[in-house]
Amino acid sequence: MEYIIEMLNITKEFPGIIANDDITLQLKKGEIHALLGENGAGKSTLMSVLFGLYQPEKGKIIVKGKEEKIKGPLDANALGIGMVHQHFKLVHNFTVLQNIVLGIETTKNGILKMEDARKKVVELSERYNLFVDPDAYISDITVGMQQRVEILKMLYRDNDILIFDEPTAVLTPQEIEELMQIMRELTTEGKSILFITHKLNEIKAVADRCSVLRRGKYIGTVHVSETDKQMLSEMMVGRKVNLTVEKEEKAPGEIVLEVNDLSVMSKREGHTKNVVEHVSFKVRKGEIVCIAGIDGNGQTELVHALTGLDGISSGSIHLNGEDVTKKSIRYRNTHGMSHIPEDRHKHGLVLDYNLAYNLVLQQYFEKQFNQAGFIKQDAVNQYADLLIEKYDIRSGQGRETKVRSMSGGNQQKAIVAREIMKNPDLLLAVQPVRGLDVGAIEYIHKELVKQRDAGCAILLVSLELEEVMNLSDRILVMFEGKIVADLDPKHVTINELGLYMAGSKREGDSHEE
Amino acid sequence: MKKKLLSVLLSAAMVATLLTGCGSKTEEAAPAEEAVTEEAPAEEAPAEEATESEASAEGYELALVTDLGTIDDKSFNQGAWEGLEKYAKENGVSYKYYQPQEGTTDSYVETIGLAIEGGAKLVVCPGFLFEEPIFIVQDQYPDVTFILLDGAPHNADYSEFKTGDNVMSIMFQEDQPGYLAGYAAVKDGMTKLGFMGGMAVPAVIRYGYGFVQGADAAAAELGVDVEVMYNYTGAFEATPEAQSMAASWYQNGTEVIFGCGGAVGNSVMAAAEEAGAKVIGVDVDQSPESDTVITSAMKLLSNSVYDGVKAFYDGSFPGGATTTFTAANNGVGLPMETSKFEAFTQEDYDALYAKLAAGEVTINNATEDSTTADLTLTNTTVSFVE
Amino acid sequence: MKNKKQIDFTGAISSIFAILIGLLVGLIVLMLSNYRQAFPGFFTILTGSLTHGMKGVGQVFYYATPIILTGLSVGFAFKTGLFNIGASGQFIIGAFGAVYVGIMFKNFGSVHWIIAVLASVLFGAIWGSVPGILKAYFNVNEVIASIMMNYIGMYAVNWTVKGYKPLFNNLRNESKNVAATAEIPKMGLDVIFPGSSVNGGFIIAIITAIIIFIVLNKTAFGYELKAVGYNRNASKYAGINEKKSIILSMTIAGAVSGLAGGLLYLAGTGKHIEIVDKLAPEGFNGISVALLGVCHPIGILFAGIFIAYLTAGGFYLQLFEFSTEIIDIIIAVIIYFSAFALIVKTMIAKFSKRKESKGSIKASGSEGGI
Repeated sequence: MEYIIEMLNITKEFPGIIANDDITLQLKKGEIHALLGENGAGKSTLMSVLFGLYQPEKGKIIVKGKEEKIKGPLDANALGIGMVHQHFKLVHNFTVLQNIVLGIETTKNGILKMEDARKKVVELSERYNLFVDPDAYISDITVGMQQRVEILKMLYRDNDILIFDEPTAVLTPQEIEELMQIMRELTTEGKSILFITHKLNEIKAVADRCSVLRRGKYIGTVHVSETDKQMLSEMMVGRKVNLTVEKEEKAPGEIVLEVNDLSVMSKREGHTKNVVEHVSFKVRKGEIVCIAGIDGNGQTELVHALTGLDGISSGSIHLNGEDVTKKSIRYRNTHGMSHIPEDRHKHGLVLDYNLAYNLVLQQYFEKQFNQAGFIKQDAVNQYADLLIEKYDIRSGQGRETKVRSMSGGNQQKAIVAREIMKNPDLLLAVQPVRGLDVGAIEYIHKELVKQRDAGCAILLVSLELEEVMNLSDRILVMFEGKIVADLDPKHVTINELGLYMAGSKREGDSHEE
Repeated sequence: MKKKLLSVLLSAAMVATLLTGCGSKTEEAAPAEEAVTEEAPAEEAPAEEATESEASAEGYELALVTDLGTIDDKSFNQGAWEGLEKYAKENGVSYKYYQPQEGTTDSYVETIGLAIEGGAKLVVCPGFLFEEPIFIVQDQYPDVTFILLDGAPHNADYSEFKTGDNVMSIMFQEDQPGYLAGYAAVKDGMTKLGFMGGMAVPAVIRYGYGFVQGADAAAAELGVDVEVMYNYTGAFEATPEAQSMAASWYQNGTEVIFGCGGAVGNSVMAAAEEAGAKVIGVDVDQSPESDTVITSAMKLLSNSVYDGVKAFYDGSFPGGATTTFTAANNGVGLPMETSKFEAFTQEDYDALYAKLAAGEVTINNATEDSTTADLTLTNTTVSFVE
Repeated sequence: MKNKKQIDFTGAISSIFAILIGLLVGLIVLMLSNYRQAFPGFFTILTGSLTHGMKGVGQVFYYATPIILTGLSVGFAFKTGLFNIGASGQFIIGAFGAVYVGIMFKNFGSVHWIIAVLASVLFGAIWGSVPGILKAYFNVNEVIASIMMNYIGMYAVNWTVKGYKPLFNNLRNESKNVAATAEIPKMGLDVIFPGSSVNGGFIIAIITAIIIFIVLNKTAFGYELKAVGYNRNASKYAGINEKKSIILSMTIAGAVSGLAGGLLYLAGTGKHIEIVDKLAPEGFNGISVALLGVCHPIGILFAGIFIAYLTAGGFYLQLFEFSTEIIDIIIAVIIYFSAFALIVKTMIAKFSKRKESKGSIKASGSEGGI
C-alpha cells in the first residue's frame, strides 16, 4: 500500500541527548496510525521534525512519494499536514469562527468576508458532528469545545494528513466515543490520521497500526488487531505494567471534609444561575471519594469553592471539624488541604520559575525554607532534589529547569509530588492523570492509594470512567451543579455511571450519607 | 517673560522625551541653523576646510550658550543670536551656539566650559538663568569674556554679587518701551487698554508701569480719558484662564491688550483673533506670530549684543559694569516698520523717542508695589484685577 | 546555577548586539548630516566622556543617577508583571517631597538631607501605590492609571509650588533653593571626580540596585512578587495575597522613582522644579534603561551608565558642526535601538531553544556566544 508520509531513519540530537534515534514512521493513506510512547519518548520531537520546527541530523521525509524539505509549519500546511496540539493554540478573546479562519481569512477589498467562512464552518461541524457555537468566545467554552475548534481548524484548511496530539486527554467518555467516530469517518473520506496517545484503550478502539517509541528509540510497529494492551504497554514502558489499581478494602475514619448546602453563583455576566447548587457531602479519612461527571457540570466551581480560589454564595465548609468557609487560601493550604489543580498551567505552576521554586510554591515562607525573609536557597535545593529523586521528575537541568520547558507529564508529577509531600489531611485531586502516559498514571494512582492507606482523605474529580471505577471508594455524580448520586463502585456498572453522568438517571434529588 | 513655551503637545512630547533622552527640543527649524553654522566657518576661513579636526580644533571664537529654550525661541536666545551673528558675519569671526543638557547651574557652567574648549573667546549668555553660572565662570576662566543679558552675576543664595572685569552685564529699561507702547496706543486713538502681565516680577512691573504712564501722558496731551484693565496672570504660560480673561476684556470694550509675560501673549493673541481685536507684543517683534499684533514693546537684544561684541573687539569692553540699555543707547523701542498704527506716525515716534533718549521724560519705575496704586495719573483710571 | 549564568549571558549579549545596531544607525545618521565630520564626531560620542578627565566620568555618573533609578523602578515593576509608565509622575512628586523638606525644615542639621531623601521616597511610594490599588481592587490597567498619575503629579506639583509662597521663586518661575544642609553630601566622590556634579546620590543608586537585586532574587517577598508577575492565578492558588503583592510592587516602584527625583533635585547643581507643563523625561528614559538592561537590576545599573555616557558624549559632539537637533536624533536612535535588547534576547532564546530542548547547558551557552 502507498505510504502518504514516510519519515525514514530520523535522527535528531540535542546536545547531551538523542531525542530521536534512527526512527522510522510510515503512515499509510487512509489509516489511523497510533504513535505510542511515554512522556519524553521523543514523540513531540518527531512531530516537530515533521512540522519543520527542527531539522533532523539524519534521515529524510517523504510526503506523497516525494522527498520534501520542510522548513516550517507553513510548509507542512502546504503539504496538507495539520495538527491538533495538546495545548490548544487558540486566541482566547476571539470567537470560534474568528479562530478557525485566523491566518487564512477571506477578504474582499481588504474587508473580512466572514459569511462564506461561517457557511463552511457550519457545514463542517454538522458533517462531523462537531457542534460549536461559531460566535462563542473561546474563553467562554469548555476545553472539550476548544478541541473541536482545533479540529475544525484543520478541516477548514482542507488538510488530509491530520495529527492528533493526545486529543482525548480532555474529553468526557461520550466525547471520546464521538471523537473516535469522527476519526473513523475522516479516514473513510481518505484522510490519514496520526494519533499520538498513551491510552491503550483508544488505540485498541480506533487505530489500525501502532508505532512505539521508547526513550528516543524506535521499538517497532504492530498491527493493533494482532496485539493486546498488555503487550503495547510493555513495548512502551519496557517492563510489565500493572494496568489495574490494586487496593485493599479499608474502613474510613473520622470526617475530614464536610460540605454543607454549598452553592456557587455563576461568575459569567448576566447569569444568575447557580453552577453549584446546594451540595452537601462528607469525605472521611482513608477513603477516596470520586466526583464523577461530564466536564462543565460544576466540578471546577466546587473545587474552587473548597480551596478558596473563588467565593461561594451560601453554605459552609468544614476542614477537620473547623469552619474554614471564610478562611484564606493560605490558611487552608497550611491546615491540611492539598490541591492538585485541574489546569496545571493556569493554577498549578509558575511556568517561568524553575522546578525548585515550583516545588516550594506553598512552603517557601515556612521556617524550613525561610530565614528572616530570605529564602534558604540551599534548603530549597535540597528539598527539590529530594522530590525530584523520590518522584522521578525528569527534566533537562534538574531543579534549575524552567518548568515551562518540561513535558506535561513531568510537570504534573512535580505538582503531585509537591502536594503529597505536604502530608495533607485532605487531598483534592482534579484530573490528576490528565494527559499522562501509562507509566505515570500507574505511578500517580499508586501514590493516591498510598496516601489513602496512610489515612489521607482524598476527593478525586475525574472525567474518566475507568479511573473513577478503579480508584474510588465512593462515587458522587455531579450533574448540572447538583450531586445526583452517591454510589458504591462495587455495585454500579460503567454504563449505569455514564447514565447518571448524562443526567438521564438519578437517585432522587439528594443523596444520603 | 523670556521663558519660552516648552512643548505643549503632550503626547508628542511623551514620545519625544521617550526617544531623545534629553528633554523636548521639539521645535523644528533645525535646517536653517545647520546651514548657518556650516556656512560660517567656510566663509570666514576657507583654509579650515582642509580637515575636519582642524576646523573643530581652531574652534569658534564667538559662542552663545542657550538657556532652556532653543535658538529659534523668538525671544532671548534668538535675539542675542541675531546680534552675535550679525557682528560675526560682518567681521568674519567664527561663531557657534551650544546647548546645555539640563537647566541647572552646573550644566550651564559645563556648557560654557565646552564653548571655551571649542575655542570661544567671548561667550554670550542670554537670560538671568545665567546669573549664577557667570558668577562661577568669571573666575574660573579669567581669560574669557562674557556677556550676560538681563541679569547680574551672583551666588546661589544671593548673598554675594560680583561682576568680574571680564563680564558685561546687560540690563534693559523696560519701562521705556512700555511707555512708548502705551503712548502710541492712545495716540493712535485707543482709550480702552489692557495690560496682562505674567508674574509680578520687576521686569514685568516696569513694563506695565511704563505702559500706563505712557498712555496717561498721551491721554493728557489729547485731553481724553483712558481706562486700563490691569492684571498679572501669575504665570508665564498660555492658560485657558488667561485667554478667557482677555476675551472678556475684549468683550467689554477693551481695544488693545499689552500681553506681557512670555506665553501669556499667546493667550491674548488667541483671544484677540477671535474677537478681531488688537495686541501689543513684548520683548521682541511679535508681529510674525499673529496679525493682531499692532506693535511690540521691544528690548533690542540684537543691538545690545552687537554693541557688546563690537566693544569687545574694539578694545572698549565695559567689563565689570552693568550696561543698561535704554532709548539713549538705542537699546529699546517699537518696531515701527512692522507696526500697524493708523494715526501714530514715525514722526510722533521719533519725537517721543528723542525725548526719552534725552531723559526728558521721567517714568516711575518703582517695583515695590505692583498694583499701580503708587502711580500718579491724570487722565487714566486703572482697574486692577486681582 | 549554571543555568542562571546562561540567562545573564543571553541578556548581556542581546543588549550589546542591540547597542551595536544602534551605534551603526547613529553613524549613518551622522554621515547623512555631515559626512566630513562623521567619523571624528562618532568617535567623540563614543569617547567624549573619557577625554575630559575624571570630571567627564563624574558627569556621566551624575547623569546616570536618576535614570538608573527610574530604570530600576520600571524594571522592578516589569519583573513583577506590571508596566510602570508612571515613573515620570512619581519622579516629580518625589522631587517635590524632597524639595519641600529641603526648603521648609531647616532645623534638622546634618540629617536634613536624609530626611529630605526619605520624603522623596515616601511621596513617590504614595504616588506609585495609587495605580497599584486601582489595579488590585478594580482591575484598572496600571498603564492607564499611571499615565494619568503622571499628569496629575506634574500639575499638582506645579500648582503647589507656584501657589505656596515659601517654596516659590517668582523671579525665576521655579522652586527656591533648598537649604545647604539638604544637599546630598559628595561622599568623597568630589575627590575622585573633581569639578563634576556627581554626588552621594550615585552611591545610593548603586545600593538601591543591589537591594532590589537581593529582594527580587533572595527573599520570600521577591519570590511572591515575581510569582504574581509570572502567574497571578498560580500565586493565588499558592495562597499569596496577589492584591497586596501588586500594590506593594507599584508602591516600591514609585518609591524608587521618587528617590530618583529626590536625589536629582537635592544634588546641589542648581536644579529647581520649574513651572512648565512638561512631564519629567527621566521617567521615560527609565523605560529605555530598563529595556536595555533587560530588567535585571545590575543590567539596569550598567544600562543607565551607558545611556548617560552616550548623552554626555553627544554633548561634546557640539564641538563639531552638528546642530543640536541632529545630536538629539543620534542619541535617540542609539537608545532606541538599544531598547531592542529585549527583542534580540527573545530571538536568541528562540534560536537556542530549538537546539536546546531537553539538552544541556553547553548548547545555549555556545550559541549565545555566536
